[in-house]
Amino acid sequence: MAVSDLGDPPAVPRRGARVMPLGLLAGSARVVRPLISFVFVLAIWSGVGAAQLVPETIFPAPWTVWNATVEMWQMGTLAGDLAVSLSRAAIGFAIGATLGVALGLMTGRIALIRTLLGPFLSLLRPIPAIALVPVAIVWFGIGEGSKYFVISYTVFLTVWFNTHHGMEYVPEIYLRASRSLGASRRREFLTVIIPAAAPYIFAGLRLGVALAFLSLVAAELSGASSGLGYRLQEARQYIRTDRMFSLLIILGALGASVDMVVHQIGRKLVHWQQG
Amino acid sequence: MTRMTAEGDVRVDDVAIRFKGKDGPVTALDRTTLRLRPGTFTALIGPSGCGKSTLMNAIGGFVAPSGGAITIDGAEVTGPSAKVGVIFQQYALFPWFTALGNVRFALRRFGLPRAQEIERAHAALAEVGLGAHAGKFPQQLSGGMKQRVAIARTFACGPKVLLMDEPFGALDAQTRLGMHDLLMGVWQKHRATVLFVTHDVDEALLLADDVHVMSQAPGRLIRQYHLPQPRPRAFNRSGSELLDIREEILGLLRPEGVLAAIH
Ligand SMILES: Nc1ncnc2c1ncn2[C@@H]1O[C@H](COP(=O)(O)OP(=O)(O)OP(=O)(O)O)[C@@H](O)[C@H]1O
Ligand SMILES: [Mg+2]
Repeated sequence: MAVSDLGDPPAVPRRGARVMPLGLLAGSARVVRPLISFVFVLAIWSGVGAAQLVPETIFPAPWTVWNATVEMWQMGTLAGDLAVSLSRAAIGFAIGATLGVALGLMTGRIALIRTLLGPFLSLLRPIPAIALVPVAIVWFGIGEGSKYFVISYTVFLTVWFNTHHGMEYVPEIYLRASRSLGASRRREFLTVIIPAAAPYIFAGLRLGVALAFLSLVAAELSGASSGLGYRLQEARQYIRTDRMFSLLIILGALGASVDMVVHQIGRKLVHWQQG
Repeated sequence: MTRMTAEGDVRVDDVAIRFKGKDGPVTALDRTTLRLRPGTFTALIGPSGCGKSTLMNAIGGFVAPSGGAITIDGAEVTGPSAKVGVIFQQYALFPWFTALGNVRFALRRFGLPRAQEIERAHAALAEVGLGAHAGKFPQQLSGGMKQRVAIARTFACGPKVLLMDEPFGALDAQTRLGMHDLLMGVWQKHRATVLFVTHDVDEALLLADDVHVMSQAPGRLIRQYHLPQPRPRAFNRSGSELLDIREEILGLLRPEGVLAAIH
């Protein structure tokens, strides 16, 4: 007997099948929605600035902040600070994420390592990055080393935690299927356990990116001579609120863009995880 | 039909299975002895919670018996192996692989050259009517199609014994009938010793050579039927005997019926 389709409904990919309440916005909603919010806040901010309710040194108007940004750019400090801060965040993230994934894979699957390290690492998690700065300076001086340490440490703990849990919650049924299909332990680890944990690992990496930016500022607030965090500190000494606002907005925009990129990469790589 | 293989001889010898419960051990399966002759199709039917899945898990090597022994072709079962294929109600396809990738996973153990492995995986999917869907991911397939991929995947591994725990329980009646034909076709070609758990008496009677009925928990085998009727079977043309057995089993599955059979 030839087996044809058994009356199953045709398989339709479900992605993008969502119906938007505002038909016109459908395609561009992801871009338009946040813009609405930005325009709204900017309008109120401009209103407050134009009315001159608050002195500019305390709460600068949008155009003052813009001018400060242009000024920092023309002085050449902004590009330099961006480069320094981004490279610190990137290096700190790379170190922390690599160690976090590697150790998470181990504590997730190897009982001995889990027993030895799991509870200890869990205990470290509530310690905020900024609390580590004094220790980092004693250990690594005020050079780049202490920045990398603070950033990679916070990234590491989060990435480790998520990876570890992803490994623990690999559905038993995948392991049963894999073993009864004759897979070796090694093949099971590489082609079943790691993919099954991948959504958790990516969630951890995404949190790690956010934390890299958060702890970057903490690391740069003391003992740095360049970088966005340092520049914030410097602006405080000269009471340049306009520069502070500019730097804060840049930090926010940077963090959000990198987060979006990581999110998109994650969606591609763990494509099976959606709905 | 000639038996093409004498492999896949399953013996369950005085096996009992207990789990640690909150208040002491719980007997999931009472002392059970069962033999599955090579190449036969056995259906197992019984009330919910009586230990059907537990017995399967023991034969599959996922759960160790608390007493007794299980052997396949004379070798004791100590863990899962490629000799015993398993088809799960929830399909258990790997969502990160395509349909083809899932079948290739099962072929990997033969160490074939890449091109040959892909070719055989395509052939296995064509056999279950999914030749056109090889590149799709499980999430893009319907329940019936997923289970067909799972059947192709399991047979690709060349199991001598095939365990199916309510494999079609999640499918609608129409799809289920198609799956019966498909399973019979694939099974008669590959020949494995099948143990098939179901809640559906009709399904058991249409498919199996032997039907075992289990008691309420803690379960044990209480009745066995051998069905020599040729396949494909249908209740209206396979004689009235099937209908009589059907009535009897339905009676046994009612709570009073089980009690009566025990006493
Ligand atoms: N891992 C386990 N730990 C503790 N108890 C278990 C475990 N697995 C099964 N049991 C218990 O063993 C008994 C038999 O379970 P089993 O799943 O084998 O029943 P079943 O016959 O397959 O039922 P169903 O028809 O509902 O699938 C149940 O009481 C169940 O709660
Ligand atoms: Mg069950």
